[in-house]
Amino acid sequence: MDVLQVVEILVFPGLTFFVWLAFVFDWLDRKTAARMQGRVGPLVAGPHGILQPVADFFKLTTKEEIVPEYSDKLVFEWGPPLFFAAPAVGTIFIPVISLSAIISNPYDLLFILFVLAFSTLMAAMLGYASAGRYSTIAIGRLVVQYTGFEVPLIISIVTPAILAKSLSIEGIVGAQSGYWFVFIAPISFGVFIIAALAELEKAPFDIPSAKTEIVAGWMTEFSGEALAYIKLTKNLSYVFLSALGASLFLGGSNGPILTHIPILQDLLFSSYFLVKLFAVGFLIFAIRTALARIRIEQATRVFWTILTPLSLLQLSIVIALR
Amino acid sequence: MSALTKWSRKRSIWVFHVNAASCNGCDIEILAALTPRYDAERLGVQLVGSPRHADVLLVTGTVNGMTKDVLKRVYEQMPEPKLVVAVGACALGGGVMKGCYNVGHGIDKVIPVNLFIPGCPPRPEAILYGILKLVGEEPKGKVVVSDKVEKQSDVVTREEVEPPVGQ
Ligand code: SF4
Repeated sequence: MDVLQVVEILVFPGLTFFVWLAFVFDWLDRKTAARMQGRVGPLVAGPHGILQPVADFFKLTTKEEIVPEYSDKLVFEWGPPLFFAAPAVGTIFIPVISLSAIISNPYDLLFILFVLAFSTLMAAMLGYASAGRYSTIAIGRLVVQYTGFEVPLIISIVTPAILAKSLSIEGIVGAQSGYWFVFIAPISFGVFIIAALAELEKAPFDIPSAKTEIVAGWMTEFSGEALAYIKLTKNLSYVFLSALGASLFLGGSNGPILTHIPILQDLLFSSYFLVKLFAVGFLIFAIRTALARIRIEQATRVFWTILTPLSLLQLSIVIALR
Repeated sequence: MSALTKWSRKRSIWVFHVNAASCNGCDIEILAALTPRYDAERLGVQLVGSPRHADVLLVTGTVNGMTKDVLKRVYEQMPEPKLVVAVGACALGGGVMKGCYNVGHGIDKVIPVNLFIPGCPPRPEAILYGILKLVGEEPKGKVVVSDKVEKQSDVVTREEVEPPVGQ
């Protein structure tokens, strides 16, 4: 591993770049929600309030961190960095400034599935470690919801892999030069977006963090720096899942016009990627603002009786067409 | 305190709202401060669900025997630095309930209070004005004595409020 690769992983287009994207996503999310509700949204922190998530983050890092007496101290204190690591590692496998990712191997997608499962597992551990009543209820709901959305999510992620005959994200992005997979597998894309909403705990699947029912879900007991990192991680997952959707179904950094001039080429690739990323992001913002929360058993029913058969149908169509 | 800390604390105010035996009049006005017309979110104000996440405790209503201990517990659960705002005449000194045998007279007898917002109930403008004053921000925009907000950029408007009943 040479110096250039380390810089790529830590700065651009790796960790720092995606963390800033996470702040921008949080701002866009709040701004879109506010506009759809006829409000203005964050306004005074920076131009148009774009620094609002940054202010929130730094304020939280300067606050006192309370560790509840009956909590599992080890997990409570060391869990948040691990939770942050899951989407942070996942973003390295997404191609941004070229058709190849910073690190890639032929079995990326399996690792991505592991990352997605790991972040839910980490959330469950953090919730249980804090030993609060509301956290415990929230984790029960989270795990039930997880058993629901995991299967359709995996099937919908596997569909583009079968189309591209490759298990690496790089290969899937490269295979979408002619047409995007969203045109061949639209149902999978829809299922992916819905499952992503559930993974991100956004409405209508914000059941584990339902504000009006169980205080703040599994994050109830966290304060200070730990909360800052948990919030940042949730936004980073937001970016990560949008980037995954853009790469798997919309061609990611692959685009219509390709040149061979080095710098221009990088710019083109990254602008294709960003346009698609924000398109998927806006889809999620709009859905989560427009819909209200459903109950946990309704969510389970939606996942098991509608989304799983639909994604299986799409998978069999794709296999038959191949 | 570094400039970054100061700036971020001024721009990001997370509020936890406790109803300590209020008549719900003040609570409705607090809700109104979050609605499109006033939209407290543009100042970085956010209503949070857990006292562990909050910077500001917004208390309405006169405290009675039932809510006294709950209020103390919620105050102790908040992480430092924390600020307390008493909203409405009841929270200031008893308000219309002043002199009743079954209510306390003001929340400053239970927990330390940093800012009082008088009114029965105070207007949303008054609440926003108070919260901005609290974090040491000089409210910008026009200060008018009516309920007309001409532009969204008029950050807050102030209203002449009556002194709380009984003081
Ligand atoms: S101050 Fe007035 S409006 Fe507010 S709680 Fe007391 S009686 Fe109700």
